[in-house]
Amino acid sequence: METITTWFALAHQWLFESAVQPVMFALGFASWTEPAFNATEIFLIGAIEITLLALILGSLERWKPVERWANDAIARRDVRIDVIYTFLNRLGVVPLLIFFLLLPLIDGLDGWLRMQGFIPPKLEDALPWLNAHPLVSFATYLVILDFVGYWLHRWQHRFEWWWALHALHHSQRHMTFWSDDRNHLLDDFIVDATFAVVALVIGVPPGQFVLLLLAGRVVESLSHANIRTGFGWAEAWLVSPRFHRVHHAIGLGHEGAARGCNFAVLFPVWDRVFGTANFDVVYPPTGIRDQDAGRNYGDGFWSQQWLGVRRLWHSVASGTPSRP
Amino acid sequence: MTSIRTFLLAACAALSFAASPARSEVAVVLNSGEGTISLIDKASMKETKRIPVGKEPHHLMATPDDQFLIIANAASNDLVFLDPKTGEVKRRLDGISDPYQIGFSPDRKWFVSVSLRLDRVDLYNGADFKLVKRLPLPKTPSHVAFDTASAFAFITLQDSNEIAAIDLKTQAVAWKMPVGKQPAGIWMTPDDKHLLVGMTGDNYVEVIDWRAKRSVKKIKTGDGAHNFIAMGDGRRVLLSNRIANTVSVIDQATLEVVDTIPVKGGPDCMELTRDGKHLWVTARWARKVAVIDMATKQTVKEIPVGKSPHGIYFASHAPRR
Repeated sequence: METITTWFALAHQWLFESAVQPVMFALGFASWTEPAFNATEIFLIGAIEITLLALILGSLERWKPVERWANDAIARRDVRIDVIYTFLNRLGVVPLLIFFLLLPLIDGLDGWLRMQGFIPPKLEDALPWLNAHPLVSFATYLVILDFVGYWLHRWQHRFEWWWALHALHHSQRHMTFWSDDRNHLLDDFIVDATFAVVALVIGVPPGQFVLLLLAGRVVESLSHANIRTGFGWAEAWLVSPRFHRVHHAIGLGHEGAARGCNFAVLFPVWDRVFGTANFDVVYPPTGIRDQDAGRNYGDGFWSQQWLGVRRLWHSVASGTPSRP
Repeated sequence: MTSIRTFLLAACAALSFAASPARSEVAVVLNSGEGTISLIDKASMKETKRIPVGKEPHHLMATPDDQFLIIANAASNDLVFLDPKTGEVKRRLDGISDPYQIGFSPDRKWFVSVSLRLDRVDLYNGADFKLVKRLPLPKTPSHVAFDTASAFAFITLQDSNEIAAIDLKTQAVAWKMPVGKQPAGIWMTPDDKHLLVGMTGDNYVEVIDWRAKRSVKKIKTGDGAHNFIAMGDGRRVLLSNRIANTVSVIDQATLEVVDTIPVKGGPDCMELTRDGKHLWVTARWARKVAVIDMATKQTVKEIPVGKSPHGIYFASHAPRR
């Protein structure tokens, strides 16, 4: 483990000092070198992560798939688009964009609160023991943010305007481990902005916030994978490919009183507590029912983004607050 | 009987003294990227312990009486007080808003905490750390220096390319003046005449006649001129150049660079041994502390530490002037 850490640190330093820092300095952004150093690390982690996911989950998908579309040109095109989303997200392009949009808003709000004499509290104020146990503190923040993630996800399905954006994620009829990042950019922004405000309120340090978002990514990739497997008894505690496939299923994942089921991002406990869990051992086809009636969610990255904005506009113009 | 007991006790004491290793001093390094401190045995130059301390510890300094070492945890909004010789955590002071860089005024009346992320400078009572004034001071206040009379605190404003002077009597910003690109480290010369300001966005130190509010000289050092520490002889000061990977030796009387020392990995904060023989430098991008032999200018040891090492301290350091 120490050897891996040492080699990673060397690669991180080399990439930063030889490629990133000179550009930052030349462009007059020398005071942003520390965030750039962290962004370089996110890029490297992303590159390693994508390689490992492609090797491991790609092999598992070939070995034990739910669906086979090897000779289907449309399926291959659909997966290729998801690969673009994955690269944009996991290599840090989308997170960086959102970070720079959110930073002035969050720091502005935080700065204003300080001028009112209010320092946002943190978990360690209530439990000082956590100061000496940062891993426990990190895990606690992860559980809290996963709980928030569950409710944000429910609202993505509940509110018509939000579903107009989020539907893009569910429109993949050829779901693979690449599909996790297939999101409308506005949807990403709204979710990350909400997380950032929650993180501020509960005292997650800005540097750790990104790490918390990264922590669940491998599980989220796995949960979208085209692999015929559940986790058995462990499925009650960690979202599996089968559990999440039901969430993406036509007729199950986006309909009914709760506008779907299995909303949990990492821990299904929230679905169990709030009555939205479906542990049936089934592997239904994925997508949205209106796609069978011919609705098009876009055949490329830009058309998907554009159609998402159009759906958003129509939902706002129609004045329907929540889905019927 | 009594004499035998006394003899045995004395023998035991002597044996235990002989058996215990000589107590070595620790060097404390803040691993800002992972919220820990590395305790390094100064004699063997090996990390002996890494302990969680809080979120984003960037800078540290001793209390004026040298009884404690204060670590400023920016994202934890607290100060942690350590035993400066052993690195043992003694107490934690909550409610200090985003302390990035910290400093005591020479008269010890003021404890100044600079909030880089939130564009604030907080003035606390130096005796009891009670907040007296919170000043908005955009953009990106970074480092702090004082005049000898403790009349002003000078702050570099990294993203508006200025320095600001806070009048400590009125606790208000007295003036600002433009300087070069991304000013970071700021240093008062021993004669109290000039402020030296490291231009992290450029390759020089700007010399400011602060009474006249006038820039009087640019001393070319190296790309990413960043932070200062005294050589302890009342004459020379050291400056880290984070991008050039060097440390410049500046003569404060002639305001010239008199020597340049190579240090790999983004040199940032520094600590010099009391005898002036070894310079310890945090290599920010290399997760290491470099120990430099000042006679040969060679790195004699690279000590692995945590992620993004920033502040560094040991008790037997060279004088601060």
